Amino acid sequence: MSRFLLRRLVYLVIVLVIITLVTYVIFFAGNANNLAARFAGRDASPQAIKDTAIRLGLNHGFWYQYWHYLKGLVHGNFGYDFQNAVPINSEIARAFPVTASLVIGSVVIWLLIGIPIGIMSATHPRTVRDRAGTTFALTFLSMPTFVLGVLFLLVLYYYLTQAGLDWFPAAGYVSISQSPGQWVDHLLLPWFTLALVQAAVYTRLIRGSLLDTLGEDYIRTARAKGLNRRTVIYKHGVRAALTPVVTQLGIDIGTLLAGAFVTEHVFGLTGLGQLGLNAIFTGDLPVVAAVVVLAATFIVVMNTVVDVVYAWLDPRVRIA
Amino acid sequence: MSLLRADLGEAEAATSIEPESSSPGAQAQEFVGRTPWRLAWARLRKDRVAMVSLGVVILLVLVALLAPALTALIGHPPNAQYTTTGLSLSGIPVGPGHNGFLLGADDQGRDILSRIIYGTQVSLEVGVGSTAIALAVGMVVGLVAGFYGGLVDTLLGRFMDILLSFPILLFALAIVARFGPSLELVLIVIALFTWPYIGRLVRGQVISLREREFVEAARALGAGDLRIMFVEIAPNLIALAVIYATLLIPVNIVTEATLSFLGLGVQPPTASWGNMISEAQTGDLFTVAWWFLVFPCVALVVTTLAFNLLGDGLRDALDPRYGRSQIPTPTRVRRAARLMRGKAADEAKAGAS
Repeated sequence: MSRFLLRRLVYLVIVLVIITLVTYVIFFAGNANNLAARFAGRDASPQAIKDTAIRLGLNHGFWYQYWHYLKGLVHGNFGYDFQNAVPINSEIARAFPVTASLVIGSVVIWLLIGIPIGIMSATHPRTVRDRAGTTFALTFLSMPTFVLGVLFLLVLYYYLTQAGLDWFPAAGYVSISQSPGQWVDHLLLPWFTLALVQAAVYTRLIRGSLLDTLGEDYIRTARAKGLNRRTVIYKHGVRAALTPVVTQLGIDIGTLLAGAFVTEHVFGLTGLGQLGLNAIFTGDLPVVAAVVVLAATFIVVMNTVVDVVYAWLDPRVRIA
Repeated sequence: MSLLRADLGEAEAATSIEPESSSPGAQAQEFVGRTPWRLAWARLRKDRVAMVSLGVVILLVLVALLAPALTALIGHPPNAQYTTTGLSLSGIPVGPGHNGFLLGADDQGRDILSRIIYGTQVSLEVGVGSTAIALAVGMVVGLVAGFYGGLVDTLLGRFMDILLSFPILLFALAIVARFGPSLELVLIVIALFTWPYIGRLVRGQVISLREREFVEAARALGAGDLRIMFVEIAPNLIALAVIYATLLIPVNIVTEATLSFLGLGVQPPTASWGNMISEAQTGDLFTVAWWFLVFPCVALVVTTLAFNLLGDGLRDALDPRYGRSQIPTPTRVRRAARLMRGKAADEAKAGAS
């Protein structure tokens, strides 16, 4: 176990080195002076651009800057952003709770929607209920997140508000410590936007895996020895069918925690995704690098968690 | 092809789609050998949903190819601004069906239908183009990794793993922001981050295929590595490639639309469904002109839905049982249905049909 974790840690370090290097290469592929000019203000004189470059450390060579960045990273320090010279750590500390709230809430919703529909579909194959389940899945699977988001804004926000029912606010984020009710209210639309698209994935996943499981011989045996349908489905079928769901869940949470870019953008939530997006538009290299590092870390860590949980769920799998 | 043929034969026996073979006069009939592709086509043709989706996909391709002719027919080029007919006196875009604007006009008085037609071109170009590149690269890398195994496999496998732990959207955005957005760049960037999915899948298949007798036979006949990989093994991967290509195209179309929506894909004034939706959302324009927002959304959803349904139908028709598919095979579904419904329901169904 500890060897497994150690190997994963080494892998994470390798991934982080490569991924930050690629980020740096992308940003320096043009002219480093360009980067400085973007932060020197409008119509800056050549001297001002030079000063800015020195202030941002852009006057040093590529490898020096990169090395300097890695050194900071080892100490858990993401550096200062180019735009306002604010410590990036504090910006992340502000943005992360927003993304986390969005992701955790929608995970709960998509599991609550996806798994029951998937089970219903699989236990009534080729019936109307199965059709309904599959149709639900395919519809939302084909619905890009931003399309669902803007349609929600149009119908549930704008038309309802026009009709005098201002149930949903348009945008923004209220922290849970400030007002739990407002927190939920502001996140409802983003939650459902993200959750419905994801729920479709899970409906399909659990339907497929449960149908496969229910076709196994041991299910027939369980039925043959007289166990009732419910016990067979839930104790023998669903339990075994959940493993691919666990894998997918790990990957999804890992990917989304680093920023649900589209959902955050549509609903104006100032999470990690928005932080990264804005930084890309302004060319704020250290912020982009920070979000990239977080994203890769979440993905690798969640993959590791998945492997551990998998071994725990399925005794046939051993971690080596 | 032996793997595919055996699988199809089995499924065929189970579904028995040719009723005449069991009719009394069957002995007199001449037996005609059917290729696996013929069998798959026969099964696909019976799948009504898949056939409708295929129709929609063909229609989309036609729309994209005939875009200039179609817009000429409408009389509104995609980027022409009709400030007198397209906008009301107070500058509000006209709605669907007014002044010859079938789907209405946008905030600059441009015809939404014409722009959607040209958006089809962009979507298909990026969706199909990036999928083709991803498929080609993924196939070659997967073949090499799976065939040689050992260190080559480890290195290529790790490389694919690392690429897959990149936050794709963020990197795509960063690259596009750095080098300036263009249709070609968007296409290449999407391919860059999607080929590892194909690569992994192909690798898994090749690992089991390379142990089969036909590879040994080819080897005994003196075939070299390249010949075995690309002439002997590769044809067995075509079914897999067709299915995944059909399912990857809509994903890539959505990625392009998302990039354009975020402002880093296809740049205005060139119309793309993504940047049309984005334009409709900025400044809450959709509140005065819903058609500006809704129609591009519909185009996007219909396209992805058609490709997804067609992909599902193809997977059922080819039934190759590749890997851990999310769609269970028809045989499995029947078995599960029988077990779950119990005998009584089965008999009732038999009586009804």
